[in-house]
Amino acid sequence: MTRILSVSDLNKSFAGQDVVRSVSFDVDESTSLGIVGESGSGKTTLVRCILRAIDPDSGTVRYNSRDGWRELDGLTARELLPLRREIQMIFQDPFASLNPRMTVQAILEEPLIVHDLGDKAWRRQRVLDMLRKVQLDPGAASRFPHAFSGGQRQRIGIARALILEPRLVVCDESVSALDVSVQAQILDLLARLQSEFGLTYLFVAHDLRVVREFCDHILVMYAGSIVEQGPVDEIFTNPRHDYTRLLLSAIPSPDPDEKLEPLDRAALNLSVDL
Amino acid sequence: MSEPLLTVKDLVVEFRTELGAVRALDEVSFDVPRDCITAVVGESGSGKTVTGNSIMRLLPESAQSSGEIVLRPGDEEPISISSLTERDPRLLDLRGGLVSMVFQEPMTALSPVHRIGDQVAEAVLCHRRVSRETAWDEAAAMLEQVGLTDVERRMRMYPFEFSGGMRQRVIIAMALICHPQLLICDEPTTALDVTIQAEILVLIRSLQRKLRNSVLFITHDLGVVAQIADRVVVMHDGKVVESGSVRQVLKSPRHPYSIHLLASMPGARTREFSQ
Repeated sequence: MTRILSVSDLNKSFAGQDVVRSVSFDVDESTSLGIVGESGSGKTTLVRCILRAIDPDSGTVRYNSRDGWRELDGLTARELLPLRREIQMIFQDPFASLNPRMTVQAILEEPLIVHDLGDKAWRRQRVLDMLRKVQLDPGAASRFPHAFSGGQRQRIGIARALILEPRLVVCDESVSALDVSVQAQILDLLARLQSEFGLTYLFVAHDLRVVREFCDHILVMYAGSIVEQGPVDEIFTNPRHDYTRLLLSAIPSPDPDEKLEPLDRAALNLSVDL
Repeated sequence: MSEPLLTVKDLVVEFRTELGAVRALDEVSFDVPRDCITAVVGESGSGKTVTGNSIMRLLPESAQSSGEIVLRPGDEEPISISSLTERDPRLLDLRGGLVSMVFQEPMTALSPVHRIGDQVAEAVLCHRRVSRETAWDEAAAMLEQVGLTDVERRMRMYPFEFSGGMRQRVIIAMALICHPQLLICDEPTTALDVTIQAEILVLIRSLQRKLRNSVLFITHDLGVVAQIADRVVVMHDGKVVESGSVRQVLKSPRHPYSIHLLASMPGARTREFSQ
């Protein structure tokens, strides 16, 4: 399998507070890496550093682009621009992440304009193709975001992220705000698009049940550090770190006969050996 | 006592909007038995919250409702909640007294400018003629029951100094301090981390076993239902589609919507595509 992303010894602090601490991991192409942890564990800061939405304090982020390996952390904004085509993001809140004053056509076309791709007719066609890919009606193009439900808006957000044909897609809690039945549809859509385009997902989520179902590998973050990483099935069946055990013990099972007995945080060894 | 604590019968709620009347609840009927936890589960827009708010009579003025909500407190005459007028003194006894509520977002449910202790004690002072000292002491005892430590010091702190889980414990203490016979919890753990959610679920369950009151637990998460509830009411599109014991509904659901909801649970479903 081809490696697509390699992060090593990444650090980020805000006002002296370490938020991401010596984080290292690799991601293979066309796989999904789940990043889990409680709020404040550094999940979002980590992916924002990788995207260079913010600059890490130290460490390297190497990305295997269509033109070979590039170190993202040293690049200027201008140098990053072509790479941004390949690395896209799907946001959490389907209401806040779409401009209410733009039509869906304008929302989906904007990335193409930013990257100076095609003429107006081509872009129009591309938008229609993309709407079909995310199973929205072509008529959606001329409407505004308010006309759509949460699930439909998330489809628009997915279409916007994928219209540039990225290879690495960061989903930061992209299904958390959705009802379970809509969530199931969106997860199916993301999986289908993954197999169609060979996408790689970095999938930040707090719901471990979703990660278990959707991802191949998992990073467990606690207080800015990775406490455990590995294949999803292995981590779920044989967690090594106490923090992972704590997280798993807190998942409410839909079987009323499997009683919820969360581990006592105070009795655990949550130290992070770096 | 075999009669249920609360009976909701043929409850219809409509909201007047610019685009005409919108029916939020359509002949909703269910019972809340004594001494157990009843969950109301459904997706957004199914009418769960409107149901809970109807019981507390917290609907906005644009709402028109019909149907019956009857509360049968253990030692008093049954109260027809649905027929109380806005000025009926019994409504004050009801809200926060016989019935109380825990909301989803613990930060917005607390006043940011009052000390934790005063906010919990206020609930006592609203409902009973006791001195401030007594109310404060009762608040301290209740906060200890919901698992707060170092209570005297913490009672002098403000909500912003508390974590989300601790705030929700405070809200639960406020709701329980007047010994309500019915505690309505509207998505009380949705805003919390899964680890904190587990702690709060265990707390609500153990307090119910201890206090022997009834809990109406509104949630969208069937995992939470399985872990907290004895009985469950499944709502969809303003209607009750199925109700029964948790074991029956979750293990052998009858209504297609319940089956669909269970099949949508992450982990419970098989992916429809093949890689």
